[in-house]
Amino acid sequence: MAIGKTLVAGAGLSGIRSALDLAETGYKVLLIDQSDHIGGLLCQLDNQFPTSKCGYCRMLPMFDRDRSSQHCLRKGLFHENIEILLSTQLMSVEGEPGDLKVTLKQNPSLIDPSLCTGCGECERVCSVFVDDPFNEGLTKRKAVYLPSPQSFSNAYTIDYTACTRCGECEKICPTGAIKFIDQDREKFKILVVDDEKIVRDSMKEWLKEEGFSVATADSGQKALELMDDRLFNMMLTDIKMPGMDGVELLAKAKEKNEDLCVIMMTAYAAVDSAVDAMKQGALDYLTKPFDPDVLISMALKVYHEFEIAEARVEQVDALILAGGTQFYKPELGKNPYGYGVLPGVVTGMEFERLISGTGLGKGKLIHPKTGKPVRKIAWFQCVGSRDVQADAGFCSSVCCMISIKEAILAKEKYGQDLETTLFYMDMRTIGKSFDEYRLKAQEENQVRFVRARIHSLDEDLKKKDGSLLARYVDLQGNIHEDDFDLVVLATGQRPAKQMTELAVKNDIGINPWGFIETTPFSIIKTSRAGILSGGSLSGLKDISDSVTCASAAALGACKIMHEAGKQPIDAHAIDMDDLTILARENPRILTVLCSCDKDLSQTLDLEKLKLDLDRIPENQSVEIMDKFCTDEGWKTLADMIQKTNPNRLILGACLPCIQKQRVKELSKESGLHSSLVETLDIISILKQYPDSQIPKTTQRIERELKALISKARFKNPVPGERLESNQNALVIGGGIAGITAALSIADCGYHVDLVEKDDAIGGNLLWMDKTVDNLDIQAYLDEKVKELESHNQVTIHKKTKTESTAQNPGEFLTFLKKDGEPDETILHGVTLLATGGSQAPLMKDNEDPQQKELTQKEFEMGVQDHKIDPEKLETVVMIQCSGTRDEKRNYCSRVCCIRALKNALFLKDKNSDIQVYILYRDMMSYGFYEEYYTEAKNRGVIFFQYDSANKPLTQIQEDKVLVKTRDLLLDMPVEIEADCVIHATGILPDLPAELADQYGADLDTFHFFKEADSKFRPVDSMNYRVFSCGLSLKPCTIEEAVASAEAAAIRAVRILSHERLVSGKMVADTRTATCSMCEMCVDTCPYGARFVDSLEEKIVIDPAACQGCGVCAAVCPSGSAVLEGLDRRLMLDVIDMALL
Amino acid sequence: MGQANNKGYLEQTETIKTMIQTCIQCGTCTASCPNIEFMDITPRHMWRLLLMDHVDALFLSKSFIMCSSCYYCTLRCPRGLELTNAMSLLKQTASKLKLKQFQRSSLFYKAFLDSVKKHGRVKEIEFMTHFFISMKNPMIPFGFAPLGLKLMLKGKVRPEFPSGGSGKLTALFKKVAELEE
Repeated sequence: MAIGKTLVAGAGLSGIRSALDLAETGYKVLLIDQSDHIGGLLCQLDNQFPTSKCGYCRMLPMFDRDRSSQHCLRKGLFHENIEILLSTQLMSVEGEPGDLKVTLKQNPSLIDPSLCTGCGECERVCSVFVDDPFNEGLTKRKAVYLPSPQSFSNAYTIDYTACTRCGECEKICPTGAIKFIDQDREKFKILVVDDEKIVRDSMKEWLKEEGFSVATADSGQKALELMDDRLFNMMLTDIKMPGMDGVELLAKAKEKNEDLCVIMMTAYAAVDSAVDAMKQGALDYLTKPFDPDVLISMALKVYHEFEIAEARVEQVDALILAGGTQFYKPELGKNPYGYGVLPGVVTGMEFERLISGTGLGKGKLIHPKTGKPVRKIAWFQCVGSRDVQADAGFCSSVCCMISIKEAILAKEKYGQDLETTLFYMDMRTIGKSFDEYRLKAQEENQVRFVRARIHSLDEDLKKKDGSLLARYVDLQGNIHEDDFDLVVLATGQRPAKQMTELAVKNDIGINPWGFIETTPFSIIKTSRAGILSGGSLSGLKDISDSVTCASAAALGACKIMHEAGKQPIDAHAIDMDDLTILARENPRILTVLCSCDKDLSQTLDLEKLKLDLDRIPENQSVEIMDKFCTDEGWKTLADMIQKTNPNRLILGACLPCIQKQRVKELSKESGLHSSLVETLDIISILKQYPDSQIPKTTQRIERELKALISKARFKNPVPGERLESNQNALVIGGGIAGITAALSIADCGYHVDLVEKDDAIGGNLLWMDKTVDNLDIQAYLDEKVKELESHNQVTIHKKTKTESTAQNPGEFLTFLKKDGEPDETILHGVTLLATGGSQAPLMKDNEDPQQKELTQKEFEMGVQDHKIDPEKLETVVMIQCSGTRDEKRNYCSRVCCIRALKNALFLKDKNSDIQVYILYRDMMSYGFYEEYYTEAKNRGVIFFQYDSANKPLTQIQEDKVLVKTRDLLLDMPVEIEADCVIHATGILPDLPAELADQYGADLDTFHFFKEADSKFRPVDSMNYRVFSCGLSLKPCTIEEAVASAEAAAIRAVRILSHERLVSGKMVADTRTATCSMCEMCVDTCPYGARFVDSLEEKIVIDPAACQGCGVCAAVCPSGSAVLEGLDRRLMLDVIDMALL
Repeated sequence: MGQANNKGYLEQTETIKTMIQTCIQCGTCTASCPNIEFMDITPRHMWRLLLMDHVDALFLSKSFIMCSSCYYCTLRCPRGLELTNAMSLLKQTASKLKLKQFQRSSLFYKAFLDSVKKHGRVKEIEFMTHFFISMKNPMIPFGFAPLGLKLMLKGKVRPEFPSGGSGKLTALFKKVAELEE
């Protein structure tokens, strides 16, 4: 049967997540990215909140991890099931789910990455400097450069738009990796349209000098006539021309030739129309007067794509779009806050680069222009978000938390005496730990939060030291002027331009802002079947939401492939080879060193090295060879292995040569198992000590090689253990998250038991009527329940509770207690906790016999039951954060503000005379929900802001409720007589600690499910077979609950799809003979990999769960807990050798 | 709520209220206002009063007539509200309602415009004379005497100007009147 394959377009955080989920399940993935490195935005960021650390690597596979790379994802990614194509763009997609034809365009580099050793000679001789986009243009780089400082492959690339083709790098490259292709620029035809002769002529001159064919026209009409005669590849047109203007010409020219690249030219004042033209299909624009260099580089870029790009057509089953977002460019907006003009105004991303260890300051916080140390920093929120003048009626959702993180980071890195101020409108701390984090910033780190929006920035003319003056008004109406050394603009986000363009060209629906539009109740399904959206493409998301969404998209792809009858690969059948015999053989080690074009003999005493290593009995021979990096060199190596028949191999070369992937290929060819090949990056070691004498260097390398030889001779070649794994799933909880999770797993072909404690399936959705965007919740729920009940892979257990459970390696055994039916015991391989949550009860201070004070749920149900008639209400007050976001429950429940807006709009719909007041602390209308906030304002809903110290009070009066609060702006008390008060009490999770504990999962401080990593593994627990979704995981909307359920489902499916799981090479074991069963190792294991087998009276290990961390070995009092592959004899020998 | 004594302003200000309804009280307008030191309540405060239907309090203050129409606030309002136009409408409403506290400014503007309408430019002596007469207070001219003298000495105000501009702006005034209908 055919193997399923999915294309993931975008290799950032979400793309990697989707790709890895599918690859781990066993499907093939083609992962592409248009940039020259993988990892996306996160490559530029060092630290994430709340840990101030990273954690990107936590996305790597947990079991069978030797199939993929096991290093930082910024360095690169490798997985047997993933093919990665960089500098590649998705051009078009045709077909149906299960049979999609995608066209890709790849820009191959002028440097062959398999030959490049990263020696950096080319960079040294290159004479072209350009702004370094990796450092957001804060520093310069050469035209030949390393794509990212962390990148593992170390291969250089050439920026063809900046490169002058001087050829110096080609001459100097020691491995001949650089090859300039002869260009025939004459066949690239450019048309210049401008009514000014001087502009036409000079442009023609400049472009001709570069070798292009150029024609000119003085009007739009003339241009169109010329286009009838011949085919042009590129057109540069002025916008303002008599007769037909540039925008009109653009439309007509595109009708004639769809592939024509059009660049608009415009005066500075008319940038708006150029931007409009870009929306209509122009590629870019130039502002007059422009530098010839700018023109040339733009022409070269278009030319390069025309000339070199290769189209590649691939057949895939599903497509996941994960192109991410791009940041708003303040310099293009109406209010740039002096960005680009005033020194010391930077964007958030620039600030991240400024404070990054690999960035500009190299660990010091210095002013990007003056180079002086920075002491006072301000953050401006909502730059390019929540601003209709910047075409953004939406909130970018993530900037508030990013800014808080940056402020804390700055303080942690450069001292607590750094002054940090955050100017904001609403602090949108919309996650479960975000409010705590804000409090930490405010109280522990003394970050100053000011509720104000800055109009504009000025240079402090009195001080004249480059400091910046920000003028703002406080809530009381007093004007303040504060000066800062550095101002960070928390720039909002925009959809990635290429993704929007792709969507428009391929009939994928987009929303008014250009983000991918998804279908109702989903954040992954696009308007086209078979095409899914992962990450922030469908709306802005932080890391954890992006990862969740990307996993959900992977589930979507998995479902499509399953429905199309495609199979995951049964990889473990292929891998079985007879290594046990090998284990009994004496080690025969072959050591091969690459002399790197004879370079090595100049720094090392190779003869001595050979002689010394030959003394080790197991070492058969030491060979010096040349140029592993060439195909020829690699072939000679393979031949040598064939000839000498070693059973262990040690390679000493440069990093790119000894990359895991190449070694894997070698071992496949030579029949030598890859775990028996050890590698040493000699070149990097030599680079670290450039001035050492030959004897010293030789000794150093010798020690390293000897340590490796020791490792090789004691290493057990037996591959990782295999574990029989149960292929059924248990979902606990029949709310929307549970239903979705069960359906998703069942749709991928695995059996699911769904346990619900109540009589009815549906959970919270049962009492809900409509969403804020007016979707019918009941209809949706009915459809899902029907689907669930009729699914042949799902068994529903209603009125059932899980009573106890036992876990053995690879399997859970859960006892179900049923009401009115005989009890049952089920066996399952994974557990999904979807126990949900509920609305927190209202803490009433008053006697309220007439039920005038209600919770949101009580109000909505009252309306549905006709107990509350909106038409009879005159005044309604809504109090947000009632009993929440305070000392007791310090988290934001995320949904209440949106619910309040929905109810307010509903009331206004039913009764336009009704007066609705919403009393709030921070209006959490994140993302596109901001539009409903605006709408509510437009419909006359009045908003009062209050602070946590002065909460509104209510008092019951006969048939009214008197609400007392303060109008902070007018600075006066306000009393409202309301017919009814609706409290937003927030969400309480409903995940009993005992239940979580039974499955080895933990709860956080607020009793939600505790994620293995809140950012990078947002639905997993530390027990790799237990997941959570929906409200028991975190407060979320229906769409978000559905997405988290789908994410949990794919995380489960990636385990269920394997009959047997393979552990990593390094895995813990127990010497039962000496084990005293103290169980300390069981309690200590962070992954829940150790169990007590009470029948056999011994400790057993789930080898797939074990991550080889060695904590058990450290804690065991009798030395019975050991780590295979790192035993005492091996370790001591390695240390001995290294110390010789 | 305190809508009790709004003296029928509400009808007049309803249009202005809808103009600023989506205000999120961020304070950008206030921080940007170059005349803020001459105002007893800030622009943000004014919008809040309007929104809360405290129009009486709004018209008790004269802050909005301090607006010099620099459009700073309009330029930067994140909600894209036409705040300067709202200020102008407030001025017009105050004038229409003939509120006592704005009588002086209304009459000053009227005298100025009458002069411009008649001559195509302002004739200071005539304009100030009309203003003094309309104020019906013989003490007022004395208040302006020192300033007037100073201006005259510097040649900024001259007793007579060559005429010839009369009637040239009629069309303009007609159009404005039409627009204000």
